[in-house]
Amino acid sequence: MKKLSFYLILLIAFLVVGRGLKPANYESDFDLATFSELPVQVGGRIKPLDSVARNTLLILSGRQKVITPEGKKLSPIEWFADQTMRPELADTYRVFKIEFPDDLGFAGLAEAGQRYYSFNDLLPHFEELNRLSSEINPEPKKRSPYENQIADLSEGLMLYHRIMHSLHPIGAPDRLNSLVDEYQTYLSLIGPGLEELRKQQAGEEFDAELLNSFIFFGDDYLKLSRTAYLRIVPPPAPIDPLEDWKNIGLELLDVMRGDALSPYVTSYASLTMAYRLDEAETFNQEVADLHERFIADFPGEIDRVHYERLFNDMQPFYISMQLYVLVFLVVCVSWLGWPKQLGRAAFWVLALALAIHTFGLISRMYIQGRPPVTNLYSSAVFVGWGAVLLGTFIEKFFKNGIGAAMASLVGFSTLIVAHHLAMSGDTLEMMRAVLDSNFWLATHVVIITFGYSAMFLAGALALIFVVLGVFSRGFNKETARSLSSMVYGITCFAALFSLVGTILGGIWADQSWGRFWGWDPKENGALIIVLWNSLVLHARWGGLVKDRGLAILAMGGNIATSWSWFGVNELGVGLHSYGFTKGVLFALSAFCICQLLMIFIAAIVPQKDWWSFRRQRLEASH
Amino acid sequence: MESLIRFFSSLRLTVVLLSFSMLLIFFGTLDQVQYGIWHTQKLYFESFLAIWAYPAQAPAYDQLYWLRIPMPGGYLLGGLLFLNLIAAHITRFKLAWKKSGIFLVHFGLILLLVSELMTDLLSVESQMPVDEGGRSNYSQSYRSNELVFIDRSHPDHDTIHSIPSQLLQAGKVVKVPDSPLSIRTINYYPNAEIGRDPSGKIDSPATQGAAVKMGIFANPKPVVYAENTINTATAYIQVISPDGPLGTWLVSNVIDDRFPPQFVRTDDQAWEIALRFTRNYYPFEIELIDFKHDKYPGTEIPFNYSSEVMAHHNDPTKNQKALIYMNHPLRYEGLTFYQASFANQDRTSIFQVVRNPGWILPYVSVLLMGLGMCVQFGIHFVKFLSKQRAS
Repeated sequence: MKKLSFYLILLIAFLVVGRGLKPANYESDFDLATFSELPVQVGGRIKPLDSVARNTLLILSGRQKVITPEGKKLSPIEWFADQTMRPELADTYRVFKIEFPDDLGFAGLAEAGQRYYSFNDLLPHFEELNRLSSEINPEPKKRSPYENQIADLSEGLMLYHRIMHSLHPIGAPDRLNSLVDEYQTYLSLIGPGLEELRKQQAGEEFDAELLNSFIFFGDDYLKLSRTAYLRIVPPPAPIDPLEDWKNIGLELLDVMRGDALSPYVTSYASLTMAYRLDEAETFNQEVADLHERFIADFPGEIDRVHYERLFNDMQPFYISMQLYVLVFLVVCVSWLGWPKQLGRAAFWVLALALAIHTFGLISRMYIQGRPPVTNLYSSAVFVGWGAVLLGTFIEKFFKNGIGAAMASLVGFSTLIVAHHLAMSGDTLEMMRAVLDSNFWLATHVVIITFGYSAMFLAGALALIFVVLGVFSRGFNKETARSLSSMVYGITCFAALFSLVGTILGGIWADQSWGRFWGWDPKENGALIIVLWNSLVLHARWGGLVKDRGLAILAMGGNIATSWSWFGVNELGVGLHSYGFTKGVLFALSAFCICQLLMIFIAAIVPQKDWWSFRRQRLEASH
Repeated sequence: MESLIRFFSSLRLTVVLLSFSMLLIFFGTLDQVQYGIWHTQKLYFESFLAIWAYPAQAPAYDQLYWLRIPMPGGYLLGGLLFLNLIAAHITRFKLAWKKSGIFLVHFGLILLLVSELMTDLLSVESQMPVDEGGRSNYSQSYRSNELVFIDRSHPDHDTIHSIPSQLLQAGKVVKVPDSPLSIRTINYYPNAEIGRDPSGKIDSPATQGAAVKMGIFANPKPVVYAENTINTATAYIQVISPDGPLGTWLVSNVIDDRFPPQFVRTDDQAWEIALRFTRNYYPFEIELIDFKHDKYPGTEIPFNYSSEVMAHHNDPTKNQKALIYMNHPLRYEGLTFYQASFANQDRTSIFQVVRNPGWILPYVSVLLMGLGMCVQFGIHFVKFLSKQRAS
């Protein structure tokens, strides 16, 4: 039975992984898998449509799925296909997340318990929304939550509109049914139209009807060039990777200058028509052609784009998250009974989770061609990874479940943080010029972020020290000693990494801004961590603190680290202030208050009165 | 005496000092929202005592406006930490292999503190804008000002007599170096607004120059510290020749090259008078050959700024060509040139010019501290491993 439990847990873990790795299955005759891999240029890089679909949905809905009015669940690319090619359907999907719909004060909008609304639901309230959004504070950092909600909604609607018109002109649904004809008409009008225009300007007699229809196209495509969000038209071969792609409106306009119309445009037109007419075969053929053309034009990019789509599908960080929960539960159960078998199982599941977490990290590095930490999102992913790595080593040495439990706690929490940070859109965005240095990203940033990992792991171990000591009975001198030495060891790591990382940061600053140290908020945050660690180490070496004091200090380290990681960004000053994020302040305060509460408990209750030690005292006196 | 030494060498003092340092840094970060980085740095880190006041923008200011937290400033804490470290090494530490890592770390730290102090005291930062195809042989400060008298009578070069703005104190008379003139400062405003009053009704001490011709006057304003803001230093200066006062001029750093120069004349000589950002002249000229500002395709996100420059030295053997770009400064003649900014539709490149004689010290200290920590924790770790194995 005991042995069985070991295998049972491993089986559960593999089921979790298997479910996550299962390739996406679109219940459709349309070849959406290939469609989702079609490339676009957004934010300075080439990525698959699938990424666009997911990021847009994250911004609008905060999740990667859409539920149709009929209750059917759509994947991001299925939604994207409807959004761009069957807008009349997409307008009924509830994709706008409104956290507090009542607060908007739109008569007849809010439904009890409903946080998602469709374009059609919002349509009657546009005028009011426009008025409200013209009145909010133009400075995003100074907006109230109410103003933020209005700004998010009107920006969301704008994005929705621009995404919708990325593949074809703006207009009624039946216009989309005759796109190929429309482009043909337009192309045949260009020569005569320009001629009539010349005649008009020269004051000669001209065909007003012909000229008007030509001008109609011009105006319409000009509007489109300002609206269409995605750059889907690559420049003609030979292709320079640094050249701008065009959106569809711009490409149509440029045909007037005598350029040939890109085959990408006509392909998207036939694609759209086939999708609307439910002609799966034509659709699949067009998609395959587009894909082939892309392979021919961009032989160097195709692997990366393909891989990014696979990576999107797999979502390795979500799998790791589930496994971390499993590890934590298994360890908790193991403390109630069968510590050995379950502990061993927890260790192997942790190792599996770490492997998948690592895989995700490396995948992102490959896709982006960068070291692992490039923005706040990736720092959260990396902090968790680092903590789990250290925790796995601790578990290997001490084999008492504590390392595994705390590693999984930190791993899970930081991935939750990452999940929330991903709501702002593409997490693989391009780096601004000053950050564009793989050398420094790979050294300074990675090392300092690993320092955060160690800080949080030490803090988590201190937390469990207090929780087990005060609130449980199963804590003895030996466990206390081993836990304390874990906290100490990890603090040494944290000290090393934060010091070296901070100093490397100073050198980078000296190379790029001309001063080693500038008392910038982010630099100060890092320095506080360094000082905190040296304080802890000196206090322990000097015998000023024992096990309990060390635990209290290590929990304080959680506060110092979160201040340095997120807090200083909220100040909005300094050279590093590229990381301001809405809503962080609240989460940060809540986290710090929890830490302070635990510190307070640990400090105020004398150790002899902790439940564990009281019991031992009672036993000893009997 | 012995108890004093014990006090200064104690670990308890180290811990207390470190706690105060964190406090100082924390509040010194918070106050940057109000005062900007530069001024906060002076208030907190380059001082002996810092006082944090409850900020007016913070919630519940009406109830908490009285709140003040005094704390030891950067120089005091740095100095005490320095003493503490030295004292501890003299009294407590014995040179042993076991402690070699700690020695390295501490020595690196001492070096770092020294280099930071050196930077505070010795480094000079200024900016040098250069147009494409143009040259410049000076950089200018963006905080300090100087009053200059320029003698343009020589055909080959100008002679500049400079008085730093710190010497411009109301009522004080200062001699203009190497010239027969002296000046009396009527008023000096570190920041002011220049107003126009064509009717001439406003009572202004000026009797000469632009102030009289254009009817302009100065209105003092509080000094600002926020980043990317500039203080308009302005003064009313009475110029005195050996024969008596020549009149009073209004000078200001906004009355710059865009305006016609103001002249001070005696019977046999003329000087241009101006208050301007302090300039540092160099024995070389920097020529900007080309400035590049590249963006990621299809976006406005910059991925590269770079300036191709040529340094023309008075001593032609020192001429040098270089490409200055992000994270790749040019170190030349004891100065370092960084790509700081650009203007003028990408036709002007602005370099940050830094003279910091101690720039190499942090690099050494980094090596020492990193090495020391690796050694120390390596020793710990090996011990821990062998203990684990034994048990």
